[in-house]
Amino acid sequence: MREALVIGSGIAGLSCAVRCAEQNMHVTLVSPHPSERAQSVMAAGGINAVTARCDEGDSVACHIEDTLKGGSWLGGKTAVTGLCTHAEDIITYLESIGTVFTIDRQGRPLRRAFGGQSHKRTYFCGSSTGKQIVSALVMEARRHEAAGTIVRRLHLHFHSALIEDGVCYGALLFDELRRVLVPINASAVVMATGGQNALFGKTTGSVLCDGYAAGRLFMQGALLKNLEFVQFHPTTLETDQKRMLVTEAVRGEGGRLFYEDGGRRVYFMEEKYGPGGNLMTRDVISREIYTTGREVLLDISFLNERLIDQRLQEVRDLCLKYRGIDVLTQPIPVAPSVHFFMGGLAVHLNHETSIERLYAVGECASMYHGANRLGGNSLLAAIYSGWVAADDLCQRADTRRRPVFAQAIAREQNRFAATFDSQSSFPVTYMRDMLADVMNEHMGIIRTEEGLAEGVESVEYYQSIADRIHYDPSVSAYANYSLTGILATAHASLSCALARKESRGAHYRSDAPQSRDDYAYSTLVSYDDGTYHTWLDREQAYES
Amino acid sequence: MRVRILRQESPTAEPYWESFCYDGPTETSVAGMLDHLNFHDDILNDAGQKTRRIAWECSCMQGTCGACAMVINGMPALACDTFLRDLVAGRPEEEIVLRPLSKFPVIRDLVVDRASIQDNLKRSDVFIGSYQPMDDESFSHQYEAAKCLKCGLCLEVCPNYTNGNAFFGAVFANDCYLVHARNREKSREIKQTYARHFGSACSKSLSCMDVCPMRIPTIASMARLNRRVR
Ligand SMILES: Cc1cc2nc3c(=O)[nH]c(=O)nc-3n(C[C@H](O)[C@H](O)[C@H](O)COP(=O)(O)OP(=O)(O)OC[C@H]3O[C@@H](n4cnc5c(N)ncnc54)[C@H](O)[C@@H]3O)c2cc1C
Ligand code: SF4
Ligand code: FES
Repeated sequence: MREALVIGSGIAGLSCAVRCAEQNMHVTLVSPHPSERAQSVMAAGGINAVTARCDEGDSVACHIEDTLKGGSWLGGKTAVTGLCTHAEDIITYLESIGTVFTIDRQGRPLRRAFGGQSHKRTYFCGSSTGKQIVSALVMEARRHEAAGTIVRRLHLHFHSALIEDGVCYGALLFDELRRVLVPINASAVVMATGGQNALFGKTTGSVLCDGYAAGRLFMQGALLKNLEFVQFHPTTLETDQKRMLVTEAVRGEGGRLFYEDGGRRVYFMEEKYGPGGNLMTRDVISREIYTTGREVLLDISFLNERLIDQRLQEVRDLCLKYRGIDVLTQPIPVAPSVHFFMGGLAVHLNHETSIERLYAVGECASMYHGANRLGGNSLLAAIYSGWVAADDLCQRADTRRRPVFAQAIAREQNRFAATFDSQSSFPVTYMRDMLADVMNEHMGIIRTEEGLAEGVESVEYYQSIADRIHYDPSVSAYANYSLTGILATAHASLSCALARKESRGAHYRSDAPQSRDDYAYSTLVSYDDGTYHTWLDREQAYES
Repeated sequence: MRVRILRQESPTAEPYWESFCYDGPTETSVAGMLDHLNFHDDILNDAGQKTRRIAWECSCMQGTCGACAMVINGMPALACDTFLRDLVAGRPEEEIVLRPLSKFPVIRDLVVDRASIQDNLKRSDVFIGSYQPMDDESFSHQYEAAKCLKCGLCLEVCPNYTNGNAFFGAVFANDCYLVHARNREKSREIKQTYARHFGSACSKSLSCMDVCPMRIPTIASMARLNRRVR
């Protein structure tokens, strides 16, 4: 192929663009903001890999097994095998572009233990792994920019894909400086737009991850997959501006969860699961905290101050800065929050979506993590998926056909320009808030058929209004036009959760608390003129 | 609490001041306050008139992405990392004044176009090329330098930085240092680039380090890059 258009410049988009450029493919890399603003910079914990220097007894086979098991056996074995087998290459590559991993005295990268894994295999860069990787990749991309193989364009938001007869030929983008829609043609388009945090309002992640692109592509015919699987992080600190992640390390160092009942501290996790109760998996703890129905606190005040300062300094700072809490004397109020999306655009093993020449990589694609993700596997998947898509599209022949979209583009541009003239007093931000309330209420940690159906009804109502309100001039044009796509992603997510009448991984239905063998497949969802259709991928058409 | 904001509807429109009354929680940051002002059915200014929602940029909301850089009470800072309690310490009658970074073109209200930061690094070839690290370079300083958010606060405060046409500022020095540390073959070339766009014009006021939200010791990058070109 001749040229690729990569949309989104977090770790997945950067990895894909650089890998394409290395194979002399011309890449246009677009995003509204520079890579430094992407959610990828927030990843703190690390990246998993089994390398030649691994723990005794560890192996790539163990990493594969842990990943499949963590995902409740919904991840595809071939896909996960590819991911874990290439992990060592990825670490070596990251070192070779100057990622500053934390090292031992001999200068070798160190590893730490991470939840859900049988061995210590998480490589890390101090407390800013994602940021250090982004910095290194940005420099690599700059090398290719200087050579002319990568062209970066900022201030561009995805609007829609240029699709004809199930094949993608480029995308329409909204240029926020000139306030117009611009087409970019390409032999292949790669989506790298991240997860769909905005459906839930405040989460641990970035507000730029809004689920619009996936929703819009869905409305244009792309299939979505496994949207019911949303990972909640059990311990986050509610602040006025967001939900801050309180790292698992706090419990790793001995932190105890409790609630107060008539002046008595109830250590509910230890009471139910024994001394290791505070270290149960993310979904179990999230569910238990939710079930208490009370304010839950995390206590580390009994730990030695020196230990806290050596190992949990950031948590100490965070609590003091955002809530004025001194962890040496006060417990930390914690609550579960949305943290990661296992679901997204359905992709084949080569990361191509159900639309030909349209690829998806990173968190916006659904692959590898099954019904639940292991910490440290998503950075790995962001890079690996970028590579897989790049290698696939680079070796593919170009199409000779170049349909002309001029008319369709002009129609869309006119429609878009006309929206600026309309005035709506109904703020888009308000709609987004109401959506978040619905999603948190009905698609939270514990779900029921009734609640999910109610959720669908509410979202359908918002969709009917969203079609009628036109433009709220007081917020950006993107905030306006993105609303319908975001609502479609929300509707599709509720539909997936409604269809899965069992509990598995991060999806828990109190009216169907057991896993069922006949549901041991991924959920696919399609859109047809306002109808949402779900089915199980029994033939493993998308992930094997 | 009164909040005064320098607003501008579009890149070509005239800027103007508008004031707001803020009665939300005080245990929050400037970012939390802006959210509060924006999230109502209508947004009213202090004269009770309906007005546009305030445009500002954000992503992480926890001081790790650099999006929300602006000038707060005269000081360049991150809105999500600057707390009302510190701004009005004991004086709730105090006014909070917000304006966009002045060294970049305004897009809308507090949102500016900082593309020149990336453009300057690109046009002066600040990339590693092949990885051949210096033997004696400290990993910890590389780690610190690579934390740079490209937020532009150091440029806002710098007396020598105007529009980024010739002098590129602290953000540039730190990325140059990374190239120097990671490719000894390119070290000579990058020191010359550094001297041309930073070293020769820096008057060492070092205010860049005071405002840097990542506390990057830029002076350490400078010291290493100022060593004689061998
Ligand atoms: C607090 C936190 C800690 C984490 N820690 C870890 C960890 O330790 N280990 C781990 O493996 N994972 C971790 N994760 C998960 C991991 O960070 C993400 O899964 C990963 O970074 C996703 O990368 P990405 O490139 O797919 O997306 P992102 O980094 O989110 O990038 C998305 C890109 O798309 C752009 N974009 C979005 N919408 C549009 C649009 N409409 N048009 C154009 N561009 C658009 C954005 O601007 C951005 O450039 C963590 C996540 C959070 C929130
Ligand atoms: S050096 Fe500091 S102030 Fe300057 S851009 Fe980087 S993080 Fe911001
Ligand atoms: S929003 Fe990321 S630094 Fe403020």
